[in-house]
Amino acid sequence: MVSITVNGQRHDVDAAHDTPLLWALRDHLGLTGTKFGCGAALCGACTVHLDGDAVRSCSLPLSAAAGHSVTTIEGLSADRSHPLQQAWIAEQVPQCGYCQSGMIMAAAALLAEIKRPSDADIDTAITNICRCGT
Amino acid sequence: MVVVSRRALLEGTAALLVGLQAPAAVAQTSRQDTAVLNAWVRISADDRVTLLLSQAEIGQGISTTLPAILADELGADWSRVTVENSPVGPDYQNPRIHWMFTGNSESIQSFAPHLRRMGAAAREMLITAAATRWSANPADCSARDGAVTHGPSGRRLTFGDLAADAARLPAPANPRLRPVQETRIGSSIPRRDIPQKVDGSAVFGIDFKVDGMVYAAVRQAPQFGASAARFDAAQVTGMPGVIGVYPIPNGVGVVAEHFWQAKTVLDRLDVTFADGPNAAVSSASVERQYRAALESGPWNTIVDKGNAAAAIAVATDPIVREYGSPFQAHAALEPMNCTAAVTADGCDVWGPIQGPELARIVASSVLKLPPERVRINWTYSGGGFGRRLLADFVAQAVILSKAAARPVKVIWTREEDMTHDFYRPATLARLKAVVGADKRPAAIAATLVSATQLQPVTAAPLPDHVDPLATEGLEETRYEIPNFRLDYHKPKIGIPTSVLRTTGFGPNIFAIESFIDELAHLAGADPHGYRRALLANDARALKVLDLAAEKGHWGAPLPARHGRGIVVYEAFDAIMAHVVEVEVDGKKAVRVNRIVTVADPGVVYDPGIATSNLEGGVVWGLTSAMKSEMTFDKGAAVETNFDGYDMVHLWETAREVETHLIAGLGDKVGGIGEVGPVGIPPALANAIFAATGERLRAMPFARFGYTLA
Repeated sequence: MVSITVNGQRHDVDAAHDTPLLWALRDHLGLTGTKFGCGAALCGACTVHLDGDAVRSCSLPLSAAAGHSVTTIEGLSADRSHPLQQAWIAEQVPQCGYCQSGMIMAAAALLAEIKRPSDADIDTAITNICRCGT
Repeated sequence: MVVVSRRALLEGTAALLVGLQAPAAVAQTSRQDTAVLNAWVRISADDRVTLLLSQAEIGQGISTTLPAILADELGADWSRVTVENSPVGPDYQNPRIHWMFTGNSESIQSFAPHLRRMGAAAREMLITAAATRWSANPADCSARDGAVTHGPSGRRLTFGDLAADAARLPAPANPRLRPVQETRIGSSIPRRDIPQKVDGSAVFGIDFKVDGMVYAAVRQAPQFGASAARFDAAQVTGMPGVIGVYPIPNGVGVVAEHFWQAKTVLDRLDVTFADGPNAAVSSASVERQYRAALESGPWNTIVDKGNAAAAIAVATDPIVREYGSPFQAHAALEPMNCTAAVTADGCDVWGPIQGPELARIVASSVLKLPPERVRINWTYSGGGFGRRLLADFVAQAVILSKAAARPVKVIWTREEDMTHDFYRPATLARLKAVVGADKRPAAIAATLVSATQLQPVTAAPLPDHVDPLATEGLEETRYEIPNFRLDYHKPKIGIPTSVLRTTGFGPNIFAIESFIDELAHLAGADPHGYRRALLANDARALKVLDLAAEKGHWGAPLPARHGRGIVVYEAFDAIMAHVVEVEVDGKKAVRVNRIVTVADPGVVYDPGIATSNLEGGVVWGLTSAMKSEMTFDKGAAVETNFDGYDMVHLWETAREVETHLIAGLGDKVGGIGEVGPVGIPPALANAIFAATGERLRAMPFARFGYTLA
């Protein structure tokens, strides 16, 4: 049993300590907005916030999240009101949409850290893969 | 000469497969207060309109555009429309091919005319019902915003008021379509799926849940065609969560309470595979096989216009060039997965599926059940690109659900996905030209070697050296070339190959558009002007080409080591042109400064969604041109994840992407989902040549040391 705080709520997860956070979120807590893409921290589809920082949940053991605050796409806002979600809708960004939770979470972490990022800041922070080329 | 058209083959496929099926039962009503006007339109007494959708949303926006076309003809209130996926059945087949699938860029091409008729038919039934109730002339009534209005009196009844009466009327045989100017054709609307895709609530196959569901991980023989696995299930008995270890056709599946448990158990399990017939297959062996075929055939002549062979045989100095393209993986970001629940009653399947009819045939044959007892449901797909037309992953879910006697969701790891794809086959083409005194090609003869693209997605066995999807793009060109010939050889290679977004157009347009560019430079001609001369009698293509040249600032001065490349072509019944502008540093790092796209696909129903497909496609094309290559050793794939098979990242993509649509209001509708990437590799190669003088004749350009900056 591992205790983690996700989107402000504490959960006791009955899973092995080395279970990646991704699968604990998806299979145990039913938070399927965070996606499995590569399992090797290469694509970023599984990006969530750990104490506000963007992390790749497919490669983070559940035990490493214990005692920290995890935010998933479901917790970014309750009603799609986060400015990035609003902008994504206004610009009609997603195509297949599979990478988009991770993209939005990576971008949200960047903007929380740097209010007006330069192109170089964006290039450095957003390393996620989008197969559709959105 | 065996000539089989792509269309005839696809139709043959349908006929063959239809013969295997019992007539499908289509649910007539879901609720008592819901009236069924036809297979596509249901209206409830409280004015809710449910429209059915038979095409899979794989990112192309079809779940918005097709229902919008239907709603538009019907006169529904779009804000009160619900969209529901159809069952598998004859009513929902592609009306041209009589087969259910999402692919070939033809969802709009094939369904728009049909759905307009279906919408119009339902509208006329509603109008007849209203006119009858009012004892009025139907010609005085109109349907808009979910209601029928009687013009002279202003009386009004909602669709919900009329639906039950309308559903009892005979369907009109020849409903009148609304005049185009009274429709929303050509205007953009917000996609229905996007809100769910920004808050994590969209349900992809991998997210689907059903009561009692457990999870499976699979390990398939790394070697293509290798025999089944040997394993000892006792080795993992008692590990946490394990429910069972079962054979699947080319490997083993572990079913457990949670996916990570299944994967952990599978990693622990020792599995041995015996060598199969492809143990010696490698990239090098396939390349030798292709090269031997290129030298000595045998060939099937696909096109022979004029007498290109004779013209080239007598020429003293024909221009000869070779172009190649690699094996490529689909690499959809959502790995293959599928959920199946096999019960005494039959089988339900849910997954990211592009080919529901094939999936039903496969599942029913695995279970030895009649097809009507297998219900195929598709979810959103995290990309598809043709991979999900196949049903290997569906079969696994069905087998494992039956074995475990539980609903099972099988999820492939990225490694399984990348090493068990049906790859786009490598191609090798040799093009020969004889030019006249005007330096224009008097004759072009092409020989093409490519493994099959079509066979895995068709049940009809293809003849030797016939594969219309492998040869398209070199079968026909809009250029005026008096003598033109294509000979084709289809090797059997021991690596599974199939259709991938752009199909044959991708590699073949790379060859022909690179070759034309080389001819232009050899002639000392401007590549834009040279193409213009070859299209002198083709006003439609010229308009596309010239607009691309204008918007791409063709001919404007550039600094050293900068260059522009231009292409024009037809694919999927759309005419396309690009101008790509690059700068290349001394270390071959290519910065793509601008990509201009001009598309004339005929009627454009939704320019916003079409543009999104084209612009995403442009980036997809950059990946294909620069990076994508699968290699093989000992009969197995070498690259296993995105570290070995990378995509274009944000910092590598084009700095400016600009798209112009030339939309007609005629009846002709071209495909838009796949054309975006087709012309990018040759346009980029032509631009790199202009910048550096180095001609790149094989994809990916990473082979020659080029990277994106």
